[in-house]
Amino acid sequence: MGALFYILIFPGFLFIIFFSLAIEFIDRKIYARLQNRVGPPWFQPLADFIKLLAKEDIVPTASNPKMFKLAPILALTSVITAFLYIPLWKTGALFSFNGDIIVVFYLLTLPTLAFFIGGWYSTSLYARIGSVRCLTQLFAYEVPLFMGILSSALLADTWSLKEMAVFYTQHPWFWMFNLLGFGISLISLLGKLEKVPFDIPEAETEVVAGSFTEYSGRMLAYLRLTLDIEMVVGSVLLALVFFPFGLNINPALGFMLFLLKVLFIISLISLLRTVVARLRIDQMISFCWKYLVPLALLQILVNLILKGTLLK
Amino acid sequence: MRIIKKIVSWARIKSPWILHFNTGACNACDIEIIAALTPRYDLERFGVVLKGTPRHADILVCSGPVTKKIEDRLVRIYEQMPEPKFVVAVGTCACSGGVFDGCYNVAAGINQVIPVSAYIPGCPASPKAIIDGVVKLLASLEEKENKGDVSIFPSPER
Repeated sequence: MGALFYILIFPGFLFIIFFSLAIEFIDRKIYARLQNRVGPPWFQPLADFIKLLAKEDIVPTASNPKMFKLAPILALTSVITAFLYIPLWKTGALFSFNGDIIVVFYLLTLPTLAFFIGGWYSTSLYARIGSVRCLTQLFAYEVPLFMGILSSALLADTWSLKEMAVFYTQHPWFWMFNLLGFGISLISLLGKLEKVPFDIPEAETEVVAGSFTEYSGRMLAYLRLTLDIEMVVGSVLLALVFFPFGLNINPALGFMLFLLKVLFIISLISLLRTVVARLRIDQMISFCWKYLVPLALLQILVNLILKGTLLK
Repeated sequence: MRIIKKIVSWARIKSPWILHFNTGACNACDIEIIAALTPRYDLERFGVVLKGTPRHADILVCSGPVTKKIEDRLVRIYEQMPEPKFVVAVGTCACSGGVFDGCYNVAAGINQVIPVSAYIPGCPASPKAIIDGVVKLLASLEEKENKGDVSIFPSPER
C-alpha cells in the first residue's frame, strides 16, 4: 500500500502532474506580465491538458507507428522516475543510493532521446530537422550542465543527492561558493528545456514545431507534460544542489522554503526567456563550449582548492 | 460519464488553439489577425495560442476568397487537423468572396470548400471584431453544449 501511495499520489504521479501544471501557469503568467499583458487564467494548463487528452490521435501513415507511440510514454516515464530520487524539503529522498545523481542526469537525458526518436520516426521533414537539432543541442548543453552540478557534488565528496543534502546542512554557508556553477547550470538547463534562447529544436518560425510537428491529441499532451515535469525536476534539482539550506527544519516551513526556491528558479527562467532572442544552432554550440565549459572548469578548480584548504 | 463529458467540453471551450492560414487574401486581414495576437489585445486571456502546425490546432482561421490554386491545400490542411475542429472565416472575402465574387479563379468564400463555424465580416476585419467573433464562437459552443446538442462535439471515432 505504502509503495502504491508513493508512486501514484504523493511524490509520484498525481502530485507531480498538478505541481508541474501549476509551474507552467506561473511561467506563462510571468512571461505575460513581463510583456505587459494580462496572461492566461490559472486553469489554462489544466484545460490545455484535458483538451488534448480528449482530441483525436492521428498517426501518420508514413510513420513507424510503434516508435511514434512509444516515444511520448518513454519520455514521460523517465522524467517522473527522476523526481523520485530528489530530496525535496528534507535531507532524505524516497529512494537513494550512492550514484543516484548520475541516474537522475540520465533519466533527464532520456526525454531528449525520446523526442529524437518520435521526431525521426514521424517521417515529416520538419520533425526530422527538429529532432536532429535536438540531438545537436544535447552535445552542447549536457557537458556544462553536468560539470556545473557535479562541481557541487565534488565539494560534498559524494555522488548521492541525499548525502549532498546532509553535507550542506552540516556546512551551512558552503553553497555560496557554488553560485557560478548555479549560473552555468541554469543557462544549460534552458537548453535542456528547449526554452528561448535555446528553443532551436522547436523554433516555430523555422521548423514549425520541431519533433512535435506530427503529434496530436493524447501523445502531444504527454509530450507537453514531459516538458513541464522536466522543468519542475530541473529546477528542483538546481534548488537542492545550489540552495541546500533549511532542509532540516519544521516540515511546513521547509515546504514553504522549497516552494520559494523553486519559484525563484522558475522566475529566473521566465525572465531569461522574455529578455533574450533565439540563437542559431552554431552560435549556441560555440557559446556553450567556448564560455560555459571553461567557467565550469573554473568552478571545479575553485571547489578543488576549497577541498584542499577549508575542508582539510 | 456525463461529468467527464462536461469537463472535456469545458476544457475545449477554454483552450482554443488556432492555426492561421491565408487562402488568397490581400494580407490586410492577416495583419489584423496578427495584431489581435499581440500583447495589446492579448488573446491568451481566452487561452488562444497561435500554433504552427494543423496537428496541434483546434480552430482554422482563414482569410481571403479561396483561390483555385489554394483550394486543394486548404482541404488538405483541414483534413490534417484532428477532430473536433472548427473553421473561422475572417474578412468579407472569406465570408462571401467579397469583391472577387464571380471571378473565374476564386471559389467565393471558405464555405464553398470546407464547413465554416463563424463568419467575421469587415474589410479588413479589425482585431476587436476578430476577438468578438472568436468569443461569440466559444459562447455559442457553450450554449449548444448546455442544450445537450452533443453533435457539435463528436467523439472521435476510430
